Amino acid sequence: MVEVRTPAYADPLDLLRRFVPTPLKASYRFGDARVVVQTNDFSLLPTASPAASPPEISECDFEWILVRDADATGTLYPPMVLASGAVTIIQMGSACLLGLDHERRELLAFIGSNVHPRTHQNFLVPLLCRLMNEGVASSSLSQFSKAREECDQ
Amino acid sequence: MATARIPKGAVASELAKEGKKKTTFFDLLERPVITATRYVNQRVGFVTKMSRGCHFFFGPVFLAGFGVRVGGIVTMLRVFDQATLPFRTSCVIAGTRCLVSTNSYDVLRATALLQAGSKSNGLPSFEMQVLVDEALDDLPEQSAHFRGRRHLVFALLPHRSFVAYDLLRKRAHAALSPAAASDCAFWHSLLLPITIGVLGTTVGAVPVHSACLEEQGTGVLIAGVSGAGKSTLATALGQRGFTMISDDWTYLSDQKSTLVAHGLFAPVKLLPDAARFFADLENLDPRRSLNGELAYEFDPRSSMNIMMKDISCPQYIFFLERTPAPGCFMVPCRHEYVREFFQKNAERLPDELAAAKAFREKIVSILSSCRSWILRTGDSPSRTAEALADFLQEARHGRG
Repeated sequence: MVEVRTPAYADPLDLLRRFVPTPLKASYRFGDARVVVQTNDFSLLPTASPAASPPEISECDFEWILVRDADATGTLYPPMVLASGAVTIIQMGSACLLGLDHERRELLAFIGSNVHPRTHQNFLVPLLCRLMNEGVASSSLSQFSKAREECDQ
Repeated sequence: MATARIPKGAVASELAKEGKKKTTFFDLLERPVITATRYVNQRVGFVTKMSRGCHFFFGPVFLAGFGVRVGGIVTMLRVFDQATLPFRTSCVIAGTRCLVSTNSYDVLRATALLQAGSKSNGLPSFEMQVLVDEALDDLPEQSAHFRGRRHLVFALLPHRSFVAYDLLRKRAHAALSPAAASDCAFWHSLLLPITIGVLGTTVGAVPVHSACLEEQGTGVLIAGVSGAGKSTLATALGQRGFTMISDDWTYLSDQKSTLVAHGLFAPVKLLPDAARFFADLENLDPRRSLNGELAYEFDPRSSMNIMMKDISCPQYIFFLERTPAPGCFMVPCRHEYVREFFQKNAERLPDELAAAKAFREKIVSILSSCRSWILRTGDSPSRTAEALADFLQEARHGRG
């Protein structure tokens, strides 16, 4: 289990954890896409080499916000994908909730504390890359069984 | 590894009923037709369209001389569009118009009581796309769980259901199990209150943590922190002849600078210790509610003959505080206290929802101009209700 402190959310009220700070920031180039990743957990930063000259958020093609959710302690469930217009949502139980807004070029994800960094790097990051590039990523999702085994260990 | 031939036109639930839900389904003889190429990388995976709303992805696929090995059914995609959600209706919820599209008659039935008339055309509206899928019955039950970032909100709900909210586009996308879709209690206790709670501020219905009642045309808000006893006092006032609009969450809109309060006819929830004040609760059993609390949940109309309506114009606000000392006192409130209370007890909104934030600020401003008191009580709910009724009588005659 990954331990990340979650700030108090009762004052001011933030039951949805919208405002969990994501102070860690790195830039990447995935294929042709320039991506800025923001997170509250080092282990969620993709292990790919960061871009040599990091773009500003205004210049990047996509912005990812990956929140390690200390209060979500479940394991990964089989993915459920909801696709509607510009928005694609994937939920794998409380351990992984992610939303991709193609129009706004934003990818927002909550990743539970039981999701192992290896699972994140080997399964979720490729999934996010392919979601960003081509919509629902069938082959990335095919790694789900292995990812869940890692999560359960 | 197991393989099976997919019957033409089969859907996941049919296969599951045949006891094949743990089987990997793959058509060995006929490579499935790629029906949605935008989702498919032909080199490594492909899709079988099981029904209009249910697509199965397969992959990776390894050719092994004489056979085929399949990784498994890895996900189900639910597409929300006009083809998958052919039925349309609209309903009125808390003074807003909800445009529903669905694939299920159960959803049409569940929303029938709230169906919008012609007068609803001018109301602010949001979309609710509801896909009912039998395949969800095969998933494990999960605890309720809510998260949000920027304009997106995710809600895992009982009955294996999931709702995603897009607050910028004012849309809800719900994937419901048949059990959820056909359960009126699910709709009226959970789905609709949660939906208007999440989306309301973007469409002109600001949720506030207050009970609302009306007596002789005078609307009253009972505010207070969780556990202060709002629902208990609202029930006691209801038994004294007040009409109840809501016991816990009230949705406020602004109609020509007049504050209008809306309720959802949601059931009242009382904690088990309330049984000592209300004999009618003896006939009910407390149940585990969404937040894990054990509570009585009942329709005040049928269980206690309390009158209900769905709209009122609140003029007075009481902030309920419990004290150990007996007695019931009304202490006038300053406008700043009212403003601070409602600001502090409202969920923070992100900068992306600037219009919603501004609208809520306007509602709080109108609230802070209402006449308001702190109601400090150490008395029983019925005695507090009696004192409040007497005080209101005086206030209406300008003596409060």
